[in-house]
Amino acid sequence: MTTDHDNSHAALLAQSVGDFVKRGADLPRVRALAQTHAEFDRAQWKQLAELGWLGVLAPESCGGLGLGLAEAAIVAEGLGRALTPEPYTAVAVLAARALEYSADTPLRNELLSGLVSGEGIPMVACHEQADDVAATRIATTATPFEGGFRVNGQKQFVIGAAGADGYIVSAQAAGELQLLWIPRDAAACATELIALADGRSYGTVTLRDVAVPRDHVLASGKAARGALARALDHAAAIASAELVGVMKCAHEMSLEYMKTRVQFGKAIGSFQALQHRAVDLYIQQELADAVLREVVAQLDAAPDDHMRALHASRAKSRCADAALAITRAAIQFHGAIGFTEDCDVGLYVKRAMTLSAWLGNGRAHRMRYAQLSVQAAGEAA
Amino acid sequence: MKDWNTMDDEVFRMEARTFFESEFPREFRFLPRRMRWAECRDWYLKLSKKGWIAPNWPREHGGMGLSPAKLLIYFEETERAGVGRMPDQGLTMVGPTLIRFGNDAQRAFFLPKIIAGDAIWCQGYSEPNAGSDLASLRTEAVLEGDDYVINGSKIWTSMAHDATHIYVLVRTDKQAKKKQEGISFLLVDMKTPGITLRTIRNIAGHEEFCQVFFDNVHTPKKNLVGELHKGWTIAKGLLGFERLNIGSPRRPLQALEKLEALAEARGLINDAAFAERLTQLKLDLADLGSLYGRYVERARRGEALGQDVSMLKVWSMETYQRLSELLIEAAGDYGAIDGEVAMNGASIDVLSPFYNSRPGTIYGGSNEIQRNILAKYVLNLPS
Repeated sequence: MTTDHDNSHAALLAQSVGDFVKRGADLPRVRALAQTHAEFDRAQWKQLAELGWLGVLAPESCGGLGLGLAEAAIVAEGLGRALTPEPYTAVAVLAARALEYSADTPLRNELLSGLVSGEGIPMVACHEQADDVAATRIATTATPFEGGFRVNGQKQFVIGAAGADGYIVSAQAAGELQLLWIPRDAAACATELIALADGRSYGTVTLRDVAVPRDHVLASGKAARGALARALDHAAAIASAELVGVMKCAHEMSLEYMKTRVQFGKAIGSFQALQHRAVDLYIQQELADAVLREVVAQLDAAPDDHMRALHASRAKSRCADAALAITRAAIQFHGAIGFTEDCDVGLYVKRAMTLSAWLGNGRAHRMRYAQLSVQAAGEAA
Repeated sequence: MKDWNTMDDEVFRMEARTFFESEFPREFRFLPRRMRWAECRDWYLKLSKKGWIAPNWPREHGGMGLSPAKLLIYFEETERAGVGRMPDQGLTMVGPTLIRFGNDAQRAFFLPKIIAGDAIWCQGYSEPNAGSDLASLRTEAVLEGDDYVINGSKIWTSMAHDATHIYVLVRTDKQAKKKQEGISFLLVDMKTPGITLRTIRNIAGHEEFCQVFFDNVHTPKKNLVGELHKGWTIAKGLLGFERLNIGSPRRPLQALEKLEALAEARGLINDAAFAERLTQLKLDLADLGSLYGRYVERARRGEALGQDVSMLKVWSMETYQRLSELLIEAAGDYGAIDGEVAMNGASIDVLSPFYNSRPGTIYGGSNEIQRNILAKYVLNLPS
């Protein structure tokens, strides 16, 4: 249930996101950054921090706004629309939530405050295999050592690793999950960057006997599992919001083009074959938007683990597939020009591909939804 | 009267479940066709007495005024219990239309009759030569004294043989410049002399729709809804309610219930290829629920439904058809059998969702027409 207070925050945020994210304004920067290894720029990151967006979710005690996912979704949709390459969801949602749900320690508070101010960029490094939506298949080990741990293993699919200051790493210690803080420059921690379609990169983080002191343990056991699971589901929902921004902008570009491009003496948008295709994609867009709003509201109401996972998978599955369908069709609507590097459509296609694959693609989330549904039916029987 | 919306969702769900399961007559559960009035009259009156006959009407007019979330629960539980579809045009279309466009006298006269089951409505829209191109309709009405006199014919009139009343679109000004102008919206008692019916058997073998003939049929002037010659606006408003109704997850839910029962009976749950398709369809339906909720909320606040409501109709009926097609495919060799099929202890009518979902992409404005509407009015594409 939203209150007037929530709504005023939402309206203010929507206003400031709208002002900041003028459609297309970020595209030259996106193109330039794609040619470098930087992935994103710190000056822009600081600006996001100054607007308060990095701290939308973070608790007020750490300088954040302590708002909900509904507000984070407004920011993410705007950034998706502008194709902003900065890893908002990875940091301000995934890492912020993982830290927020970790134990209340000086390190955790320092990391969260740094995250909110934009001075520190922590990233969650928890996935080791593809399609492991909840990141539960973990071979990385943490062996007790001098009160802390020595960590061995390899983490994949870390978006934004290019600019990360350190990682929140999941590891198994004698059957008990640990969430550990490992600074990027820790000895024997190596980050390899793998180029992605949209000019960004995945980090593969290799840990060979990395020493982690006792006070770098963020959460252990059930608390660690819970923190990670909630953070991943919240991040999947907000990545879905980015996808909604991407798909809406791409479809608007297609519709505009169809109104201006003339063939056979008429605007091509007057042809029924194209109109019906555009309508079907618009329905996908509106389904995605409706699911997203419902899911973030449900997640903000803190459902149980089972329902939370179902909601998150519902959002990511619809939004990922709708964004892929809409952006791919945008190439077709634009004709040959849509296949050129100069045409902005390609940037949207590629961002949709990256965001869809990250944190579990549509199919992976559908399969999780199916498994969770079967489990629920089994328990009810 | 109870405010259902403040009730906990699960408490409300259990109350609905208990009520539908214990009170809905067993012999009519999961009926493969629409219920005739003679079959469902007792049930209608029972719902009416409980105050549950009009879940989406405002409370001031005798409805439950349910929020989208509660309305979805209401639908889920009616489908779970296999409650059949009654002649419901008064509840889903005429009621909301009179609430929005009617005058006080019309509301006071007709709404309580709908709630009480004293007026059963049918829709006089399509004509033999006015289907997708509805505005080209030719049934006409001429004012003579205090009555409008109607001549012409309406077709595809669902459940006209059970109806006590019909609402008709008639041409009242043949000189109007545009075909959408000069149309009026009239309410007519089916007992009026000059009305005759011909039933039409559908592909499933059921007589659910009719052709209605008007031969000098008189209806009093006070039965004109809205202004003379301005009926097209009301017709479109009613179509908005119709699209909201057809666009609800209710009917596809029926097919999903059957599909899940069949999957269990045939042990298909562990078939990965089937599971993938079933899950996609379940999500298609769950996501329809999210979109539907938006429009229910708008209707509940009394806002006009825009042309974008057509999205619901397209997605709902096509999801319904996809579910009904997977049901037949998943039935394998059983998928050719007419009527109830016995499989491993379950009894499932495999073909009825197929038949029931087929006209869904045709009636209420074909899905191609819905796409034209969306392209023109929502995407603003050129013509």
